[in-house]
Amino acid sequence: MCGKILHKVKIYYKATYTYKIFRMLQSEVESFVTTLGNVALFGLEFLKGLKSFPTTLKAIMEQASRFGVSSLPITLSIVGMTSIIIAMQVAGEMVKQGAGNYVGMLVAILMVREEGVIMAGFAIISMIGSSMASEIATMKVTEQIDAIRVLKVNPVHYLFTPRVIAGTLMMPLVVIVASVFGILGGAVASNLVSGLTYKAYFDSVWFGLNIHDINVCILKSLAFGFVITLISCTCGMEARDGAKGVGIATTKAVVWSFVAIVILDLIFAAMFFY
Amino acid sequence: MGIEVKNLVKSFDKKVILDNISFKVDDGKILSIVGFSGSGKSTVLKLISGLIEKDSGEINTSGGDIAMVFQYSALFDSLNVFDNISFALQERKDLRGKYTKAELEKVVAEKLELVGLSGIEDKFPSELSGGMQKRVSFARAIVTEPKIILYDEPTAGLDPISSTLIEDYIVRLKNETNAASIVVTHQMSTIKRTADSVLMLYNGHAVFEGTPDELLEERTPYTKQFVNASLEGPMKMNA
Repeated sequence: MCGKILHKVKIYYKATYTYKIFRMLQSEVESFVTTLGNVALFGLEFLKGLKSFPTTLKAIMEQASRFGVSSLPITLSIVGMTSIIIAMQVAGEMVKQGAGNYVGMLVAILMVREEGVIMAGFAIISMIGSSMASEIATMKVTEQIDAIRVLKVNPVHYLFTPRVIAGTLMMPLVVIVASVFGILGGAVASNLVSGLTYKAYFDSVWFGLNIHDINVCILKSLAFGFVITLISCTCGMEARDGAKGVGIATTKAVVWSFVAIVILDLIFAAMFFY
Repeated sequence: MGIEVKNLVKSFDKKVILDNISFKVDDGKILSIVGFSGSGKSTVLKLISGLIEKDSGEINTSGGDIAMVFQYSALFDSLNVFDNISFALQERKDLRGKYTKAELEKVVAEKLELVGLSGIEDKFPSELSGGMQKRVSFARAIVTEPKIILYDEPTAGLDPISSTLIEDYIVRLKNETNAASIVVTHQMSTIKRTADSVLMLYNGHAVFEGTPDELLEERTPYTKQFVNASLEGPMKMNA
């Protein structure tokens, strides 16, 4: 009797929204833990493979050109517009308050410490990370990864190495170009909005920026490049169940990469500027 | 020796897919594995090729490379035919750098000639028909001179004439390489033209083992149902 009642309660509970929401949350947590584990495993496998350098310069250059050249227009647009918006909002007010000499410094520090690298990261994730994830996911669901394994080639070494190396090395270049572009955009916007001279702006930039900021910016962009490519490739490798799986893998790569670089950004801020 | 499988067991999520499967394929012979979709045929190939791990049992092979031809060819779509075929020679850790460009070109040309597709080295998989893709995947599979060749539904999705051509190449490759081969198929024509022996799986069990002629004699309810493609019989589709 008691068992029957319990069974009925169980069936009723399973039909409730609370249960369904709980199950969904459970599945999301499981997926997060699995992906995190796989990122660590594939990351270690990638590092292990570096000893024998299982790729060619040609393969790295192909990925580097995809990473740098393809992403540059959108990265420059985003970073450039961000700096113009910042300059437009603060330059007029600062000049009025007699702090015009600090506009260049403000824009430059924002660009180098934060906006340049994080905006470039977002652009790279949207353009390159998503395309890497979908490319590898398609290979996975069409058995191409299995074919690589049967041919006794390590798919992590073959697929990850050129992408992760190219991503890690190209990210600082993209960020430097984007940050310079952002600072220039800020100069033009400040001049147009508040009449601030270019000399005053760039004097302020040189005064405000220091080598520590630039070093941290490069270090952070190296870490972002590594993490974005590693997560994107891992999510691609986790794909299954056909076209739907490719879509899920791509979304997952974009979401987890966004989350990862924001967390990394926080860690860098705490380590170097707190 | 070829391939010897003893008491092979494999489960997925507590569902037994293969239950105590045993068979043997000698060098230069072809075994056809037949059965309903989901009966565990492709799982056997994946276990032998090492793509998945067995739960228990033994898989003994004569050594050397194991090649596999996938159901939908699984050619690398970003690489041309030359790079697809020479992939293992260029990328495998123990072979990387051992072949000069001229040697690679020679090997690829030889393999393409063997599958009747000379001169298509620069084409990409998307520029080839399904039958041609299949033959390129044959050439890719045999590039390392394997001792075992596994074919996963090699004639799936092909017209009858292309299927016949593929079947002829399976026999030709067996004769050229003297490899032990396993062909997973649903098609009676493939069994008749290529197989030396047949293994029928149902519900994770081997329900028939014999020659193609014995299969066609329909001695058991299983073979009778399979050969006649009948819905009536011991094998249920929802199994």
